Amino acid sequence: MPSNGSSSAAAVWAVLRKECRSEWRTRYGLNAALLFAVTTLTAVSFAIGRLGNRTDLLAALLWIVLLFAALASLSHAFVREVEGRTLLLLRLVASPAAIATGKLVFNLLFLGVLELVTVPLFLVLMGAPPPRWGAFLGILGLGSIALGGCATLVGAVISQARGRGALYAAVSFPLLLPMLAAAVSGTRAQWEGGPVGSEARLLTAYAAAVVGASLLLYDRLWED
Amino acid sequence: MSVALRSVAGAERPSITAQGVWHRYGPGRGLEPVSFAWCGPSVAAVTGANGSGKSTLLKVLAGLVAPSGGTATLSIGGSVVPNRARRRCVGYASPDLMFYDELSCAENLAFAGEALGLRDVRRAFTAALDQVGLGRVAEDRPGALSSGMLQRLRLALALLHGPAVLLLDEPTSHMDDEGRDLVARVVERHRRAGLVVIASNDEREWRIAEQRIELRGRGLGGAA
Repeated sequence: MPSNGSSSAAAVWAVLRKECRSEWRTRYGLNAALLFAVTTLTAVSFAIGRLGNRTDLLAALLWIVLLFAALASLSHAFVREVEGRTLLLLRLVASPAAIATGKLVFNLLFLGVLELVTVPLFLVLMGAPPPRWGAFLGILGLGSIALGGCATLVGAVISQARGRGALYAAVSFPLLLPMLAAAVSGTRAQWEGGPVGSEARLLTAYAAAVVGASLLLYDRLWED
Repeated sequence: MSVALRSVAGAERPSITAQGVWHRYGPGRGLEPVSFAWCGPSVAAVTGANGSGKSTLLKVLAGLVAPSGGTATLSIGGSVVPNRARRRCVGYASPDLMFYDELSCAENLAFAGEALGLRDVRRAFTAALDQVGLGRVAEDRPGALSSGMLQRLRLALALLHGPAVLLLDEPTSHMDDEGRDLVARVVERHRRAGLVVIASNDEREWRIAEQRIELRGRGLGGAA
């Protein structure tokens, strides 16, 4: 019989390992996301050259590239389970909260890998001024948690709906807007030497609210 | 003998009690109110017309669907099993159940075992695969299996953690005579200490049941 002690942690770990293994074998999301990010940066670089000290454009462009490169894959975390009809298997072996937490951690890892390639490339190709690394990475990390949490939650909510593609955009746009505004503002401020405390607090609160709401909602999402 | 059989034999007697359980997916679709009390060791059968709610009832008993009304209680040795712990006491196999095609049969079962928190996952999935005669195709992808072999894999998943209750929805669908014999042997072995519930309209599947309920929902006839 299964051990009781850390069964939820075991389920989260199992879901995370399964997601990593599936992604590694299919390269379903990572290749598409990297292709989008690299192509966009290269095209923009050819078209307008180095942006230098245009920190407003730099901050907006960085988050636009990250958002669109990540969203196509993050939104599919649950859709793939529904379309592959594997959601039943998943629900048989793990609680909704464990499934969602495993997928959230995977999405955050996915974002991390994406940023590992995209951000250095962005800084070089766009000719961005050297960032204040502490503030820059702080905003990037908090923004990624907020983005990953929101994308995972919306993906779970719309996964069993008809017309989920259109629904995803409609539901996620108003949810992502405050997070994007704070991330862009914080990224710009760190380049301009200003304080980023308020943006960091906003992103922290947003991420905590999204992840907290997710953990409360997931148990109710798939009861039918 | 298999890991599954030993753990079932060591468990206390399971019982399932349903009081006025019903469920609606939409107008005219779902499960009409049903009440029963089944106590192991035994085999119980659920029969009824197409659309009468046999599969829905099994999903309710497995904790996969929250009923619209009524209560379904699973007890082991007189103690009620909470819904969140039900997946550890119940083995469920259904034609709806699909596996991850990017993982091998063994990896699919290993994932399920890890998520369920089994201590010796390799031993559990090896025993389960051997029990259903799929030891030779353990490294194959589920997509490469015939429909009958896939049905055996579903049975292996249900047996993986040595559950006290087996819920089998049309367990021999797509199976040849050898497969039918295998299912009969598994049911015969499990009935000695556990509780087996079979949902089917095929008399060859449910004739060994000591108890049977026939669902008299609207089905396709009533909806017309």
